[in-house]
Amino acid sequence: MTPYLIRRLLQAVATLFIVSIVAFWLLHLMPDGVARGLLGPRATPELIAREEHQLGLDRTLVVQYGIWLTKLLHGDLGTSPVYHQSVSALIGERLGQSAYLAALALLITVLLAVPVGVLQATRAGSLTDHTLTTLSFVGYAVPVFFVGPLLRDVFQVRLHWVPIANQIDSFHSALIQPEQLVLPVATLVIGLLAGYSRYVRSAMLDELTQDYVRTAVAKGARGRRVLYRHVLRNAMLPMATLIGLSLPGLVGGALLVEQVFNIQGLGWLTVQAAQRDDFAVVLGTTMLTALATVAGSLLADVSYAALDPRVRLT
Amino acid sequence: MALLEVRDLHTRIKLKRGAVRAVDGVSFSVEAGETVGLVGESGCGKTLTALSIMRLLPAGGSSPRGSVLLDGRDLLRLDEDEMAGVRGNDIGMIFQDPMTALNPTMTVGRQISEAVRIHRGAGKRAARERAVEVLRQVGMPSPEQRAADYPHQLSGGMRQRAMIAMALAAEPRLLIADEPTTALDPTVRRQILELIDGLRERLGMAVVLVAHDLGVIAGHADRVNVMYAGRIVESARTARLYAGPRHPYTEALFDALPDRAAEGGTRLYSIPGQPPDPADPPAACRFAARCRYAQEDCRTQDPPYRTDEETGDRYACFHPVGTTQRTGAEPAAGTGIAAAGREPAPVQLGDVLLEVTDLVKDYPVTKGLLRRRVGTVSAVAGVSFSLRAGETLGLVGETGCGKTTLARLIVGLEASTSGTIRVAGEDLAALTPRARRRRRRDVQLMFQDTHAAMDPRMRTRAVVREPLDIQRIGDRAFREARIRELFEQVGLPVSALERYPHEFSGGQRQRVGLARALAPAPRLIVADEPVSALDASIQSQVLSVMKDVRSEFGLSYLFISHDLSAVRHLADRIAVMYLGKLVELGPAEAVRARPVHPYTRALVDAVPVADPAVERGRIVTGAGGEPPSALDPPSGCRFRTRCPAAREICARQEPPLARHGPDGHQAACHFPLVPLSAEEVDTRRR
Ligand code: SF4
Ligand code: SF4
Repeated sequence: MTPYLIRRLLQAVATLFIVSIVAFWLLHLMPDGVARGLLGPRATPELIAREEHQLGLDRTLVVQYGIWLTKLLHGDLGTSPVYHQSVSALIGERLGQSAYLAALALLITVLLAVPVGVLQATRAGSLTDHTLTTLSFVGYAVPVFFVGPLLRDVFQVRLHWVPIANQIDSFHSALIQPEQLVLPVATLVIGLLAGYSRYVRSAMLDELTQDYVRTAVAKGARGRRVLYRHVLRNAMLPMATLIGLSLPGLVGGALLVEQVFNIQGLGWLTVQAAQRDDFAVVLGTTMLTALATVAGSLLADVSYAALDPRVRLT
Repeated sequence: MALLEVRDLHTRIKLKRGAVRAVDGVSFSVEAGETVGLVGESGCGKTLTALSIMRLLPAGGSSPRGSVLLDGRDLLRLDEDEMAGVRGNDIGMIFQDPMTALNPTMTVGRQISEAVRIHRGAGKRAARERAVEVLRQVGMPSPEQRAADYPHQLSGGMRQRAMIAMALAAEPRLLIADEPTTALDPTVRRQILELIDGLRERLGMAVVLVAHDLGVIAGHADRVNVMYAGRIVESARTARLYAGPRHPYTEALFDALPDRAAEGGTRLYSIPGQPPDPADPPAACRFAARCRYAQEDCRTQDPPYRTDEETGDRYACFHPVGTTQRTGAEPAAGTGIAAAGREPAPVQLGDVLLEVTDLVKDYPVTKGLLRRRVGTVSAVAGVSFSLRAGETLGLVGETGCGKTTLARLIVGLEASTSGTIRVAGEDLAALTPRARRRRRRDVQLMFQDTHAAMDPRMRTRAVVREPLDIQRIGDRAFREARIRELFEQVGLPVSALERYPHEFSGGQRQRVGLARALAPAPRLIVADEPVSALDASIQSQVLSVMKDVRSEFGLSYLFISHDLSAVRHLADRIAVMYLGKLVELGPAEAVRARPVHPYTRALVDAVPVADPAVERGRIVTGAGGEPPSALDPPSGCRFRTRCPAAREICARQEPPLARHGPDGHQAACHFPLVPLSAEEVDTRRR
């Protein structure tokens, strides 16, 4: 196990390294440099050249990358030329509310998807099953930028169930106004639930046809016992992978929801930075997403091995 | 009153193409303490009968009609909850494949104690203790430790023991065993059957033993029910049935046993054709289309049972064996060649075609960060033999003995670690890639699992043509003509060319596999367990076809099987492998009749004899336990951990393969079962 972990961690570092090179290179291909973005369209070439020199942009790409990497290894993601703030601080301010939102959405999704999927699998082919299937496809098919505004319109604007209010601009503000998170979380859950419950349903159906289920019944186990002691556990094994793999999507991907509900989280920050050619911040959030991807898949494999006695990590 | 009485049981299974009458009026009874056999080929309804008793039908199964009386209580009338109280408590059941039948993520101890907890309401501790106790009862070595193991950590035989322990945990009065040994190795099969026998005696329970093989039943059942197309066609006390079957189907099953054919020197009988469509069985004798005694009345009326009041033996046939002349054709082999009545010419042996010398295949086992090599799986450990043109060598051994690896090395699917393989005198490794490809044509592989080995989206025409395309043999017209010719030779209609692999029965698919192997006109076919997955009567069909094409083309076979009796029908010589080593090699009859190596002896003993008197009276020296891991094979003689004759020298010194009789009979053992002749001792000394 330990050698496995070490190997995987080395792999993870290598992956992140490669991602950083590619991202760095791509971001510096942007047609108008950051300097023009900062100085406006009427800046003279001289001004731009001076600004670029100050930012270190006139050196070769390799040197720039070297500097950036050295700083990164010291825990410094650089400074945003737009906000004049360190990137780590900018991300730090936003990370909390985004992670909170994502975790909440994921948790609720799983808590709903398991019973829904189990219900569908045990009643496969029934009216309940078909209804839930149709509903989940609708949820799956309708994009976030439609569901979000719709929910906001109905529940905030017309029904006033949720106060139209303050934006969430910090972790603290997310914590103290849980009512503000109801709609964004609901939006995310609607998008995720379909996939997860379909997944649970088909995993359950797969497991239910396995021979060992018949063995359990043959020894006198009754329905519920068979379902919860035998089938559910085996059906849930692949869920660990699914959750691990959806982590990056959640960290970076609440982007649209944050836009719609005016939550100043990581997604919001990324969009802002990208619009203003703030390469330092975009690079930082890209690296964060890459990190989440790598960590998520490692987490998925390790938890799978912990749950399934047949899998040994070597 | 009988313990179990099944009366007029009907079970239907809904499939896509309609409802199938899987069990169609089955009645039989089981007395307390008795073993009753349920025998028949796949699809005859024997397993579904067993499952109907337990009310464990697969999806699409209707609730069975008729009655199943357990001590007078009709199980078919119980509600689901009452039935759960019967399952595992009054009736225990064990299934065919213990790997899939056990929950992979639960320790065997917990799975066993679950039954105790459900029915006895025992606490965790008590249930666990009971689990260990039953594991001990079923002969599980170190039961405490094993109880904490997961199923995948156990060997096949141990898994089946765990399965039996689970079925017995709540001390049922009836045990239903659905092909309990089919998935196991021959030497382990016998152990399991004997275990069930012993437990039945000790616990005084009754057993329903479901099997597809008459041999398995012979020594273990008091009464045998033979099933065909959803019905019991004959029911008789075991001794009576084996002494003289009354129903033509029972007789045909006996005649299709390779061992019987070999003993009587008769040609192996294969029942022609297929069972009737279970969705729409004829309103006449269901066996009529395949029966050697069929008359006009058989095709128009359903034969009623004739019952011997005194013994309860009964059969359903108008013209039982011995009362009428056979009308049908004699042993039909099913190929054009044999159907034309030509007896195959005796095989002419040619030059050495395949020569394998000191062949070794090791698989490295690695560990840790740097993939350090920590061990070696010694799959094939210095095997030498040769095979002449026109000769068939049977290669026998159990799971993990290296026989499949050897096959893959010979057909070139894998590279050997050391040693040479010569085909027609040429060392394959030394050839240029082009010449090697050319040579590969001479050696073709025939698989066990034809279903997995054929692309399901390809029509059989394309499946058979593929090797011709790859080897670029002939033009389009030639290939087409060749395919048609091949289909005729293996006894398939030309219309079969347009069909897809899944539309064939197992036996037909194996014929397609043979046609594909024959396509590039090879000189040697390596057949890896070609008939293991088939029913006895279908096995004999495929074996007969293989035999016919052999004499037609002067082919050689390397016939690989875990089953000595399947090999025996075709092989001129037999080689026995154990844990990567060749332990015995010699003329087929000599190896079987006078085995020299204790392991060969165990394999011979493991073949069930379809004769209850012989089977019951047999003293079996057999090997105990199961093969150890090839990762760390025992020192000296690799068989010593299971050998009843092992002594101290066996651990120290590896016995060499030495001569033990005429015709190149060789074996590797320090204490051979057949003593050396004076002359051989003499040659040894020199
Ligand atoms: S009834 Fe006729 S066809 Fe049926 S088994 Fe007897 S002889 Fe054969
Ligand atoms: S060499 Fe010894 S251990 Fe091996 S088979 Fe012969 S007697 Fe048994």
